[in-house]
Amino acid sequence: MLRRTMLQLLGGGAAALATRTAAWAAATPGARSEDEFFIFIHAAGGWDVTLWADPRHERVGLIEPASTDNTEIAGLARWTSVALDGDTETFAPLASSDSKLVLGPGIGALYDLRDRLTIINGLAMNTVSHPDGTVYSATGRHLAGGRAPASSVDVAIANERGTGQMLPAVAIQFPSSFVGEALDRRSIPLRVASAATIAKSLSRSPAYLDSSDRAAITAVLSAETNALAARSVYPGTYERIASQLAAQPLLVGGELEKAFTQKALQDAYPMFDYKSKSQAAGALSAAFTAEAMRRNVVRSVGFALGGLDTHNQNYKQHARTLQDLFGVIATLQGVLDATPHPTRSASKLADHTHILVFSEFCRTPQINLAGGRDHYPNNSALVISPRFRGGVAFGKTDAEQLLPADAKTFADGARPIAPPDLLATFLHAFDIEPRRYLRDGEVVPELLR
Amino acid sequence: MRAGALVLALAACGPAVIAPSATQPLPPHRELAVDTTPKQRPRMMPAEVYLRAYMMWFGGLAPLEVQARARGRQLFDAWDDYLAALGLPDYRIDLPRQTQSNTLMLAAFGRLGEALCVRAVEHDLHDARTPPDQRVVFAFEPIARPSEAQFDERFDVLHRGFLGYPAALAPADRAKRYYALFTQVAAHHPAKPKTPLTGEETAWAAVCAALIQHPETGLY
Repeated sequence: MLRRTMLQLLGGGAAALATRTAAWAAATPGARSEDEFFIFIHAAGGWDVTLWADPRHERVGLIEPASTDNTEIAGLARWTSVALDGDTETFAPLASSDSKLVLGPGIGALYDLRDRLTIINGLAMNTVSHPDGTVYSATGRHLAGGRAPASSVDVAIANERGTGQMLPAVAIQFPSSFVGEALDRRSIPLRVASAATIAKSLSRSPAYLDSSDRAAITAVLSAETNALAARSVYPGTYERIASQLAAQPLLVGGELEKAFTQKALQDAYPMFDYKSKSQAAGALSAAFTAEAMRRNVVRSVGFALGGLDTHNQNYKQHARTLQDLFGVIATLQGVLDATPHPTRSASKLADHTHILVFSEFCRTPQINLAGGRDHYPNNSALVISPRFRGGVAFGKTDAEQLLPADAKTFADGARPIAPPDLLATFLHAFDIEPRRYLRDGEVVPELLR
Repeated sequence: MRAGALVLALAACGPAVIAPSATQPLPPHRELAVDTTPKQRPRMMPAEVYLRAYMMWFGGLAPLEVQARARGRQLFDAWDDYLAALGLPDYRIDLPRQTQSNTLMLAAFGRLGEALCVRAVEHDLHDARTPPDQRVVFAFEPIARPSEAQFDERFDVLHRGFLGYPAALAPADRAKRYYALFTQVAAHHPAKPKTPLTGEETAWAAVCAALIQHPETGLY
């Protein structure tokens, strides 16, 4: 809270603070959703929730907490040691009088934004497979025959709110899936392995053809595509290509290409740690996200922050990796706090940007023989959104086994919360009918403002 | 009981006579038109097929040869940068194959196509004037300021190469569109251009780039 308040005061004084707070609070379901922005982050590998969302610092049942025996604590800014057993020390959970949240040290710099965090614990994953857990978290459905049977949440958002944008959905190593005939083809995610690839694909040599030549080429291709669409029994495919061709002159070889190069992004957003051991690529993705939203060319960006799959001695670095991961998110949120919204003159980007962070599952409560933690069918997720209640944790796990426990009585009875519920709630927050995209799931009003 | 047995015995002894009927001619075969309409929407060629075709068109080169040839003057850099954008899967990071085109994919194929077409013009038409039998894409003799008919004759060579059938079988206005593109690009570039190619060579590169990105090239 203090950090945010400081940023706000630096940014525009007490009057601006009052306006921002009002804008944040007023952004309730039913408000205008056309120029909202969305960020989806996949914490790839499976995170240890006992180090942040669902902190455990005692040996209870199966639970072997993070300790100086299994965790490298050097560099952990939020780790405060307390005795566990003999010379072994564990961490003191982070708690503050201004928040109901109790978090672990892995949360790092994001702890400063605790009044804006919505944490969902005890997500029932019913899987310990990386691909399956990833798809389940992103689509609300398990894999069917190795394929995602439904569109991912970023595609749903792009389909509903992003088709007017130049790049409706960008997926940088994010598990986006586009499934179904009813969706607008413009919401097909632009999948790339790195943010730098986007600028490279848009780049053109100035030595031979120039922009007017390329415009002439695109005009020929558009005319040919439209002619084929007019003659085709199935014009939809050609119409999709025609719309994608129409966007080329705006994208290729112009200002955007220069703005999205790796160097330009790093120069424009020096606050990210591009030399981070575990999150350097993610930092570049975050910088691209901020720049693309500032320029109002995207609606949804999904990217991955990784390095969490720690089955052996590499688990010692897990807490540090989490800290770096949440550090990228905290820095990104700070950038959004300071950046004006491209179409709402009185707002900052943060007032209309909604972040959903998930992983594919969590890690076992016990330490394995190799010194790491394996896959476990429980999970947590994080939302930072003006439409969600901040400073709350919803859902729970049992004390001894870290397995999902009943969160509330849903329409089908008492049960733990699951990814389809979270995704349905997320879509509902933006006036999108969840059943258009999700087979399962129930809106959880307790999460919403 | 007795009466029943008697009826059965009579029936068995006296077989019924069936009078032959007149034969009827077989009904004539009905002519059914063969339904040749497509039953499935056009699908995107897998990226591997697309890339393989690129390499074949440009002389059967290996990927690293293409990369080496396309580099320079910021035409292209390395395959690794574009694999995901071109739609290829990356199993190291569980990135599945792209089954639908997108804006960025078209831009990436456009960059690659432009690079290869420019290099093909340099090889076939520019530098040392490669003999016709050794030209890989522009297997014709270029002439200055071609008429529409002269252009069509040369365009047909490219059309057969990239789209696999004669330009004469394509929709009637296709050749006209490409001729307009050729003349526009050729006129746009000055007589003493700063670029390494002449105006008409640049125009042939543009025609090539517009054919290699044609929707018929990437769909089946």
